[in-house]
Amino acid sequence: MLLTIDHLYKGFDQGKVQAVFDTSLVLEAGKTYAFLGESGSGKTTLARLIAGLECPDRGEIYLNDQLISSESYHLPAEKRAIGFVFQHYALFPHLTIAKNIAYGISKTAGRRERVEEMLRLVNLNGYGKRYPHEISGGQQQRVALARALAPDPRLILLDEPFSNLDSHLRQKLRTEVFTILQNAGVCSVFITHNAEDAMAISDEVLVFREGKLLQQATPMALYHQPSSPYVARFFDTLVDLPLALLASFNYKGNKNKTYFLRNHHFHLDGSGEFVARAQVIRTLCLGKDYVVEVKVGEHLLELSAVKPPETSEVGLGWREQDLLSFDA
Amino acid sequence: MALVITVFIGIPALYIFIKLFNGPGESWTQIAEYLLPKYVKNSLYLALICSLLTALFGVASAWLSVRYEFYGRRILEWLLILPLAIPSYITAYAYAGIFDYGGSLNVLLSRISLDVGRIDLMSINGLALILSISLYPYVYVACRTFFLHRSQNLIDASRVLGKGEAQHFFKLILPMARPAIVGGIILVLMEVLNDYGAAKYYGVNTFTTGIFKSWFGYRELETAIYLAALLLVIIFALIVIEQRQRGARKFAADSGSERRLERLKSSGMQRVGITFLVVLPAFLGFIAPLAQLLYWAIISYVEIDWGPLLQVVFQSLGIAAFASFCCVLMAMLLLMAKEWNRLNWVNQIAKIGILGYAIPGAVIAVGIYMPGLYFDKWLIDFIGRTFSVKMNLLLTGTVIALIYAYVVRFLAVAFNPIVASREKVQFGLLQASQSLGKGAFFTFLKVEIPLLKPALLGAFILVFIDVMKELPLTLILKPYDVQTLAVEAYQFASDERIIEAAMPSLLIIATGVLPVIFLNRLVRKS
Repeated sequence: MLLTIDHLYKGFDQGKVQAVFDTSLVLEAGKTYAFLGESGSGKTTLARLIAGLECPDRGEIYLNDQLISSESYHLPAEKRAIGFVFQHYALFPHLTIAKNIAYGISKTAGRRERVEEMLRLVNLNGYGKRYPHEISGGQQQRVALARALAPDPRLILLDEPFSNLDSHLRQKLRTEVFTILQNAGVCSVFITHNAEDAMAISDEVLVFREGKLLQQATPMALYHQPSSPYVARFFDTLVDLPLALLASFNYKGNKNKTYFLRNHHFHLDGSGEFVARAQVIRTLCLGKDYVVEVKVGEHLLELSAVKPPETSEVGLGWREQDLLSFDA
Repeated sequence: MALVITVFIGIPALYIFIKLFNGPGESWTQIAEYLLPKYVKNSLYLALICSLLTALFGVASAWLSVRYEFYGRRILEWLLILPLAIPSYITAYAYAGIFDYGGSLNVLLSRISLDVGRIDLMSINGLALILSISLYPYVYVACRTFFLHRSQNLIDASRVLGKGEAQHFFKLILPMARPAIVGGIILVLMEVLNDYGAAKYYGVNTFTTGIFKSWFGYRELETAIYLAALLLVIIFALIVIEQRQRGARKFAADSGSERRLERLKSSGMQRVGITFLVVLPAFLGFIAPLAQLLYWAIISYVEIDWGPLLQVVFQSLGIAAFASFCCVLMAMLLLMAKEWNRLNWVNQIAKIGILGYAIPGAVIAVGIYMPGLYFDKWLIDFIGRTFSVKMNLLLTGTVIALIYAYVVRFLAVAFNPIVASREKVQFGLLQASQSLGKGAFFTFLKVEIPLLKPALLGAFILVFIDVMKELPLTLILKPYDVQTLAVEAYQFASDERIIEAAMPSLLIIATGVLPVIFLNRLVRKS
């Protein structure tokens, strides 16, 4: 186990805000992880605890089975060899790119070679003599990455690495960063609020809410077996299916459970195992798909469809395999 | 209009530059041979030592006060600025009293049966030390502002890259703060080169004392002008260095959303040590001289002749208030001129108009005295010929020349805060006013002026404090029947009646401290 976290707690403002609450998890070497959560979910605090930038109130953190953080012991951040890429990069403005990258490397022979190697790795050969403000945002991002990788960390944490970028650049950089980290072969953790980023880049996603770890799973498992409606809502809009509505579809639900369908899992052509008559209230075109508002009995549903309905009354169907059920 | 103002402000410097080519007076060769090398050496030595010491005091106190928690932090934060409220010549007088034989230090030490003998402060090293403890707040303020706006992320980035607190400071903070430090030191140097009172009292010959000596000692105005011109060249060199320094590297500002620097907790001996280090400059620069002056004021209290002193107080306040008003008015005119003028080169020239602060008071005085004399002669001739009326000198030896000189010297002090505040007024507001059918002048009166009110007040106060403290310029240009507190204190001190200098000194400090506290509040709020 590269990193083990055992019942970790961290509060702020004399415990008024509980940023990390009874969190336990295990990260393995060589894998890529994503901490996914909304702002205030505690994912950034957890990353800062791992890096040693904060001290926990309770619980332990182990790196390679060695204790690095607990209530009474704190290995300082500068001694952990854990890399951190900051949200706004935090490049040192008065140092050149090369000197930024060299900053964390000890003054041994081969320092210059290591800097050159890093510049090549992030595809910035020849940029060493420039200053951070002289290069673009995407390039700054890569310098920050190179700087964090240069001292050969055991683990690297990336705090919202793509949040400053527009969606086009985001996709491009996501692939780039992923490739760089794969080549470096280092265990990395992406901290993000964007589910798509998390899914695209990681082997495992850890979803956080209000300081608690809700689920740790591969992207595939996370999508198909979400542990709660909250996790499922990261990817799609869910349609709530109360028992009375399920009855209209001739589906008998368990009253100890709650049921949901993703809004694009309804079929407006009457196909599927469970079907009911629905009245089309209105249709909005969003470009590649449509929002369709329908009424089943007394229930108003907002669905997503690739084709607009042709008649004002349709057969609305769905498959049992798509139904999400959770313990109430 | 910008051009007119610039010419108006630029006359003294211009005149001195022109005079440089006319050749010096008779005793120039003598001065150049025997005194000038000494002036140059002393002035440069003072500049060097003061730069180093103020940088040390200023940077250290600023960093400690921003980065650490210690006893009495909130009070000390502004106590560290207060040495600026005491003019350096007054600090110099006070320290002469403290270290004198039988002075306060001797008395205090002998109480605990300790005799260190006499520490001679009346030397160039003593002067450098006094000027440094009195002027370090320029560096402190510049650095403190800079440090307060740094992001904790930079420190965190340094930590996760394996560096400790000492390395953060020496490898990151210090090199990044270089422009702020240099900016502060440039202000210190201008004050050092401007100083007359302290150097005179400590018997150190500098450029400024040389100007006085050749004018009033040798009775040679030409030589004084020549020295002034040389000093001006040095000052302009400093300005050029400062501008280049600023332009050299543009540091990207940390984004506002980032976290401020975290304050480190300290405890036990560390906390006591930090508190001591922060108290030290505040104590040396403010508390100790103030205590000495208070002591003198108390023992001489019964002998003070309040009638004449009060008259001096009112004259001082009146002159300072009027000069400040003129300065602010002129600054507003310059701002309007800048805004309504689309010719770029005029705006470039206007920048020269606010360089007055860099020019030592003695130089400005020389630069105004001579042209003033010519102007008066011409005016009297002209009026005499056309109207057959005899009139007195209009400029020479009158309050008008004095006020003119203050405006030349302190225009920048008023102009800079007003411009800074003006830049924060959203352009949209002015366009909104214009779209509602109001003209530029109406908008200026009804929208801009009210929005600028705090800045105008702040500018007024800053100039007011500076005028109250100003010595060399006042000494040369003031009319015989007018007296200011600064000159009063200087004259008592140079007549070796230093105890009597205490009361006027304290009054100057009082007029300085109260507005400084007020300004500090204002800065904190915004």
